[in-house]
Amino acid sequence: MKSPASASWKAPLKFRMPAAENLVPIRLDIEVDGQRYKDAFTWNPYDPDSEVVMFAKRTVKDLKLAPGFLPQIVQFIQLATFRSYAGQDMYVGDKIVPIKLDLRVDHTVIRDQFLWDLNNFDSDPEEFARTLCKDVGIEDPEVGPAIALAIREQLYEIAIQNVTSARENRINKKGRRAAEHFPISKPSGAALDLMKLFRSSVVRKRKEWDYYKPVLDLLSNEDVDALEAKEERSG
Amino acid sequence: MAEKSPVKEVAFSESIPISNSNQLKQSPQFSAKLTTPTPPISDIPSTPTSRLPPVDADVIHVPSYSRWFSWDKIDSCESRFLPEFFDGRSSKGPSLYKYYRNSIIKLFRENPSRKITFTEARRNLVGDVGSIRRVFDFLDHWGLINYSASSALSKPSKNTASNNKSSDSPSLESPSTAAPTPKQSSTSRRFCGECKSLCTIACFVCDKYDSTLCARCYVRGNFRVGLSNADFRRVEISDEAKADWSEKETLLLLEAIMHYGDDWKKVAQHVGGRTEKECVAHFVKLPFGEEYLGHPLSDDAESGFDPNKSMRLTPLADASNPIMAQSAFLSALAGVEIAEAAAQAAVNILSKIDDTTASRGGNGSLERNAKQESEISSNGDANQNALERAYADAKSQLDKEEQDIERAITEITEVQMKEIQDKILRFEEMDLLMEKERQQLESMKHLLFIDQLNLSFRKNSN
Repeated sequence: MKSPASASWKAPLKFRMPAAENLVPIRLDIEVDGQRYKDAFTWNPYDPDSEVVMFAKRTVKDLKLAPGFLPQIVQFIQLATFRSYAGQDMYVGDKIVPIKLDLRVDHTVIRDQFLWDLNNFDSDPEEFARTLCKDVGIEDPEVGPAIALAIREQLYEIAIQNVTSARENRINKKGRRAAEHFPISKPSGAALDLMKLFRSSVVRKRKEWDYYKPVLDLLSNEDVDALEAKEERSG
Repeated sequence: MAEKSPVKEVAFSESIPISNSNQLKQSPQFSAKLTTPTPPISDIPSTPTSRLPPVDADVIHVPSYSRWFSWDKIDSCESRFLPEFFDGRSSKGPSLYKYYRNSIIKLFRENPSRKITFTEARRNLVGDVGSIRRVFDFLDHWGLINYSASSALSKPSKNTASNNKSSDSPSLESPSTAAPTPKQSSTSRRFCGECKSLCTIACFVCDKYDSTLCARCYVRGNFRVGLSNADFRRVEISDEAKADWSEKETLLLLEAIMHYGDDWKKVAQHVGGRTEKECVAHFVKLPFGEEYLGHPLSDDAESGFDPNKSMRLTPLADASNPIMAQSAFLSALAGVEIAEAAAQAAVNILSKIDDTTASRGGNGSLERNAKQESEISSNGDANQNALERAYADAKSQLDKEEQDIERAITEITEVQMKEIQDKILRFEEMDLLMEKERQQLESMKHLLFIDQLNLSFRKNSN
């Protein structure tokens, strides 16, 4: 018996990252006076503004950037935290989403795919990144944060989608004044249903094994240079 | 990656972190060298890639006030300064803190002659940069990272009493960060400008804008936008052990005690800048300098005695407990050993009586007396013991009274409830009776009606 609403409707919650800590991923790419500053990190949106300024100052000082970077960095961070949709409603069903990793950090290339439970607010991308690096034996310490960041970004995207869909649903309801239960927010193409996923068995099919394995590559210097040149040209 | 081997080297040297800090004992000799302007980088013998004889690993200088550091343990000052990891609210736990701390320190020790920047550290760590920054700043201030003996500024470092390096060893933090100073600037109370809390351990003063911050706000960076770490200087408000009571303060203290006796609140106010605890502790520790108070405590006839004895008795005699005062007087009369013996005998017998009857109530006073006797018996000992026991005594009395009150209240409420229940029962019975009566009335009415009918019939038929 397949119920049309195969996911139970839960009351919408306040928006937050579906992870243990409500941290916001931030990517910066600023250019001032010919100096380019690219960076990516996670930020705690509850930190006070003075913290933002402190961090920006430290970064400028440490990396010896031009002082013109300071207000830009501050603005970026503030914008990112403000836009974090805090306070709006988010609707989360029984969703398990696949998260894909495909990053290059310096000499290390990592590709991986795994499933993530959006309902579990105890899950910790940082913990996952640390364990992954340790298990796979990644020596470059910068890979960990990059992985955590990538996971958070994807989660963020999905969470945002849920927010917008919750808003849509509300509007729909007002318009039609009908629906008994909400149509499940149209899942992004990547999200899967629990039922569908686990219908046959919990064990993964053999042909899917290769997709869900982490793949680690170590590049040589020439490869790195080649890739970077390609990115510069395209980016 | 090519970096693997140096990591191994450093790991080995780190396996003797304790010996590293133990080498501080030798550093008084080093400190003599350190007054020369050349930094003792020569004392840090190696770069990570060279081969080292195992024992003579990298000498990592760690200031003496950070000797609590160890790789596996978390010290109390860490949990004080970085409460976010230890309060159990968020998912950040002590293990996470340890991971950050150890990684940052490892990173620094890979190349001890070079300062690491915060950005490098946070690039390598998984987590939110705010927390990493706080850990980094904490380690920086405590000299666990970036503590290279570069500057010849000989600001005295904060020392424990055992380490007499006060004027010799430079504190050796780079001039841009605040250097801890041992002496307190003043004994006045300090309130934080940001969070309005009392500064206890240490506070940070900004001279530029003349503001004071408590340690927590400082670490969190809760100051105005125009300021940065460099503008603050650390001021210790250490606890009483490190503070020296000036002559003036001691005089004030004694004066206050003379006037206010046992009212430590007023005494503390009078002295100004010391909490009650500190006043009491200091007073108790005063040597027989109490004698220069020469205090003739009035009523309970302490007159003919040496000032010593009278001072020692004063605290007890002042306790608003005439029995205590009497016992004090008597024991002073009789002499110490006799008083002791008598008190002991009394205590033994009293305790026997106590065992046989139920505790509390009337026995409370007996126990109290016993306690007082035993207190008198130790009159020969330091005042401190007596005070402590008196204090504990008072506490236990308070507790007992509270319990009594509670019990009384519960009994009262029980009785009231019983009353109400009885009333309810009675009302119910009355209700029943009323019902019965009403039914009887009804039946009587019926009978009447029937009689009337009969009568009218008879009348009509006649």
